[in-house]
Amino acid sequence: MIKAHQINYKHKDFHILDGVDVSLEYGEFLAIVGPNGAGKSSLLSVLADEVRTGKQKVLFKDKPISEWNVKELSKHKAKFSQHNSNDIPLEVKDVVMMGRYPYFDSQPGKEDLEAMNNMMYETDVFHLKDREYNTLSGGEKQRVHLSRVMAQLQNEIAHTLMFLDEPLNNLDIKHQYKALDIIKKFTQKANSAIVVLHDLNLAAQFADKILLMKSGRVSAYGTPQEVFTAENISDAYNFPCTICEHPITNNPMIIFG
Amino acid sequence: MRTQSKLYFYLTISAVLLVIIAVLSLNTGVYDFGGNSAFKVLWQFIKGDPNLSLSDKYVVWDVRAARIIMAILIGSMLSVSGTSLQGLFKNPLATGDLIGLTSGATLLAAIAIVLGGHFKEYLPEAVQFSLVGISAFIGSFLSMMLVYRISTSGGKTNVVMMLLTGVAITAIGFSITGFLIYISKDEQLRDLTFWNLGSLAAATWTKNIILGVVLIIAYIILLPKGKAFNAMMLGEKDAQHLGINVERLKKQIIIIVALMVGTCVAFSGTIGFVGLIVPYILRLLFKSNYAFILPLSALCGSILLLTADTFSRSIVAPSELPIGILTALMGGPIFIAILVKFKKAL
Repeated sequence: MIKAHQINYKHKDFHILDGVDVSLEYGEFLAIVGPNGAGKSSLLSVLADEVRTGKQKVLFKDKPISEWNVKELSKHKAKFSQHNSNDIPLEVKDVVMMGRYPYFDSQPGKEDLEAMNNMMYETDVFHLKDREYNTLSGGEKQRVHLSRVMAQLQNEIAHTLMFLDEPLNNLDIKHQYKALDIIKKFTQKANSAIVVLHDLNLAAQFADKILLMKSGRVSAYGTPQEVFTAENISDAYNFPCTICEHPITNNPMIIFG
Repeated sequence: MRTQSKLYFYLTISAVLLVIIAVLSLNTGVYDFGGNSAFKVLWQFIKGDPNLSLSDKYVVWDVRAARIIMAILIGSMLSVSGTSLQGLFKNPLATGDLIGLTSGATLLAAIAIVLGGHFKEYLPEAVQFSLVGISAFIGSFLSMMLVYRISTSGGKTNVVMMLLTGVAITAIGFSITGFLIYISKDEQLRDLTFWNLGSLAAATWTKNIILGVVLIIAYIILLPKGKAFNAMMLGEKDAQHLGINVERLKKQIIIIVALMVGTCVAFSGTIGFVGLIVPYILRLLFKSNYAFILPLSALCGSILLLTADTFSRSIVAPSELPIGILTALMGGPIFIAILVKFKKAL
């Protein structure tokens, strides 16, 4: 799906990313975790072709991502950004409809309306569809954007890719699980997702692969069982923790302190 | 699709309203067509009636009809340029006159009028005739670049910087234009005063054809961009993720808006606030959905300017009120209303 080799990204003399390798298969849910300032969002930006790092190339479906046609690419990948605009004087349904912009010229077709409505249901914002976006709470805005990004990838193309930068910010517990469920379902249809997460237990429970970052480098990569060991986590976060088994899912469960 | 038919509904209503106002405007004026109505005279002219007196023909076709069409074209372009700038800067205060495009255009047009005589003979003939127009375009383009560079970084606009850059450009323009007035000859002086006050009195069909061509080119490129303008509200990176070539879009807006503002200034001088009033009213009805307000502002701008112009030439007839007075009278309070609404954001 996406391959990047030895990504370096510098701001002045400070290495934000230092020799990071990423490779993702079809149908994989990759969670990027790590302490503040580890370079998680920067890595996501580089992979999504928001910033270009010079020589290194990111290969998306075996073709350098910078060589893709912008419009065509928008049907293959979507990104949920961490800092969503607070000032969009439109109704919620208009914001979600933006996700369908790559698919129609002047007026949305039947599939576009269906995708919009379905995704508003899934993310539990359908009842807000006629409200003005600016009057929503932080968590509701997050869900509107999740809905928009999901609607963007409702198409016939096999293997699409979604980037999500801290999609769970401001969400209550129910909607955190709901959002992860939606992403999980999306990856089970042979699509892939790269998600920056802060909650390690949620990452352990939902992700197929974990990329643990520290100071711009990959400090561990693998399945949750491989990555989430007491040494790895204590070392990355500089904070003590204990690992035990989740009583239901058998995934690792991290208890801090 | 419901929202789409809603758009066509409003477009039709605006178009009908515009035609009605144009008809009323054609019949408004001091000239007496010997008891006939202006339409009858216009009809005679269109049929090529040989009995039509020359002065009747002149008033109806070369004065009134030309002026009405010019008001329609200029009102439309000023209003669309305002709406487009607001999409580019993501702020309802961005309009050609407030951020200094009009001043930049006026300044270079004034320079071309006063100093143009000295180097005109060295220029190719085609350039000579359109010297004022080309200068106005260059002026608005340079101002645009300056404002954009100063006020925007990383896709975010600092509104205060945007407006203050406009103030600075306007101040420079004002002082240099003042100096030019001081050194100019009588005939040039009349031209300059016309530019500063703004008027549609100099309408001719040649000008209308040029305006029409500019309008068609600009609208073919700009009017289908409603979706892209909406997506820009998400931020430039997210708009890019929606398949919009943001850099190209910004360049198109900058060049086309400069072209529209420059052409309008070259032919009608500084008519302020049209680009502020029309989008403001449309936003009250349609929020900021550019898929609606962009095409509608094209028609509503015409309605506004044609109405204002008809008033300006009829309330103190046979004399004429500068049209800028009327548009500023409407625009000023709206400017304040937007400021109050955005007090916190500024």
